[in-house]
Amino acid sequence: MAIEELDVVRRPQAEDTSPHGWFVALLERLLVPIRRGKRPEPQPAHGFYTDTTVCIGCKACEVACKQWNQLPADGFEFTGDSYDNTGELSASSWRHVKFVEQFPTPEPISQLVPQSTPQRFSLEVLPTPAPVPQTQGQPDWGRWLMMSDVCKHCVAAPCQQACPTGAIIYNEFANVYIQPDICNGCTYCVAACPFGVITRSMTSGHARKCTLCYDRQKDGLMPACAKVCPTASIQFGPIDELRKRARKRVEELQAKGVTSAHVYGDAATETYTELHSFYLLVDRPEVYGLPEKPFNPWIHMMGDYLRTLLTGALTFAVLLAVFLLWSK
Amino acid sequence: MRTETNTPNPQGYAGRVVTKPPAWHDLVVLDVLFNNLTTGLFLVAAVGELAVPVVFTPVATWGYPLALLLLLIDLGFLVLDLGDKLRFHHMLRVFKPSSPMSLGTWCLTIYSLFLTAILAAELVVILGWLPGDAGLVWWLRKLAVIGGLPFAFGSAAYKGVLFSTTAQPGWKDARWLGAYLMNSALLLGAAELLTIAALMDEMRAVSLLRPAVGLLAVINLLPLGLLANDFYPLLANLHPRRERLATGFAIFLLGVAVPAGLLAISGGVVVALAVLVVLVLANLVVRHVIIRLPHHMGEASHRPCPPTGS
Repeated sequence: MAIEELDVVRRPQAEDTSPHGWFVALLERLLVPIRRGKRPEPQPAHGFYTDTTVCIGCKACEVACKQWNQLPADGFEFTGDSYDNTGELSASSWRHVKFVEQFPTPEPISQLVPQSTPQRFSLEVLPTPAPVPQTQGQPDWGRWLMMSDVCKHCVAAPCQQACPTGAIIYNEFANVYIQPDICNGCTYCVAACPFGVITRSMTSGHARKCTLCYDRQKDGLMPACAKVCPTASIQFGPIDELRKRARKRVEELQAKGVTSAHVYGDAATETYTELHSFYLLVDRPEVYGLPEKPFNPWIHMMGDYLRTLLTGALTFAVLLAVFLLWSK
Repeated sequence: MRTETNTPNPQGYAGRVVTKPPAWHDLVVLDVLFNNLTTGLFLVAAVGELAVPVVFTPVATWGYPLALLLLLIDLGFLVLDLGDKLRFHHMLRVFKPSSPMSLGTWCLTIYSLFLTAILAAELVVILGWLPGDAGLVWWLRKLAVIGGLPFAFGSAAYKGVLFSTTAQPGWKDARWLGAYLMNSALLLGAAELLTIAALMDEMRAVSLLRPAVGLLAVINLLPLGLLANDFYPLLANLHPRRERLATGFAIFLLGVAVPAGLLAISGGVVVALAVLVVLVLANLVVRHVIIRLPHHMGEASHRPCPPTGS
């Protein structure tokens, strides 16, 4: 269980009377991060499949995650996004339930009354505000879209590619894990993540995100959020099995007329790899706050280096030309 | 009755910026500037010393200690910007060339070692312990200058690529950011060396550096223009046209017109200092605009994202 966030009161250390205490402490600080432990045996890749069509927005996943990982409260602020008052994923919120209300706009009352009905008094007491126009493609019946957002645990994670300290690793379950004793809070991972998942903690100064309950997985338990989800919207298990379930569910929904049902992140695209936390959605990904076409920033890296090196070489050539020609 | 004022948006979270800006603010602006100042000074001094040693060696002798001082200040900014400053050495825990930040950290570290070696060789000569015009010290110094070149180059090159290899709005489309920062570094370095040469009254070095600085200031417009083109959709969304034109004009004035104009008039100490100051100011403004871009997008995140290149 992570208790870092609770360590707000420094416990008094036993007095170290050794004159070399500070030296040993310094050596430990320098050498311990360099030591490598024994790499655990690889296990079958595990992850999440989230069926948003059965999510009821109860936020039990948010509560369970905060409780298990001892994450602090974030305060309370009305965001204006329906029942979503978490706002976003952060260093202290590793699960974020999103709410989207999609209801057709009723006709203005003045248009509900038949024109032929004689009226003694005008019903237009106040000017009728303009109604929200019906959005093309939206069903004419109302619905809620609810989704529990989390770290996507990408197969080729830009955060892992960015991390200069080696803090972010792929663990034996092929999940993306931040080693809290290595991270120094440079926030390059925050800049690299195309899903806006990672944030730096104000308390510890380290980057933090969902660990897919690595500590629970090592003990053969399922993550807290999947354990507590009452509708099995969040499903945990081997990735191959989850993909089969997701695709079967899409076929079922499409057979029932939900033609917009699709799985997001189960397969690699031209610009991004698969996700080990993928979603069944019934609207465009942007409606759920997910990028429509996630893009791995590393695709451009070599080209950017080449442009930089060429420009540097050309500028050097100009300098040399000036120095050598003008000096004659 | 549902109206525009009280209807939840059926588009949900569409049109909002999904990414989060990193906690990089003024310290990083100063870090980028000082990185360019130190690497540019070393690169120009080294190239000058190797190409025309008779002219540039006396000037470079003072250029390298200044480059080391600027590097130490730059490293200070980098450490202060970390969330856990006492873990700054974790950057050297792994060597990961696929991460621009890791590559840059190693380049900066090795560059600092070569700079220190050059300073040690110069100190030995200044203190009179060994002769500096020939022999072991001379060769060690020359090897340190040559050895430091690729790492100084790498230290200048990684910075822009670090920003463009992210998912942040603006930065992710900045294909010419690395090229612009590299070119600016050499321009700033030439201006710094010109100032040192003017202060030392080394007129032969001044006569070579004056046209170099003027030419580089004009050439700098090319990568800057390409970079502005990369940023255009985002800047158009964030700032009105008048503000963009005013900022662009100020950058052109301080970054090209004033330096070139002053250098055409004279190569004295005052002019050299003035050129350096306006160039540093212009480059500071550009870097401030660049670093603040994702933060401004985050603040305006309820406005739709502009279409971008990728």
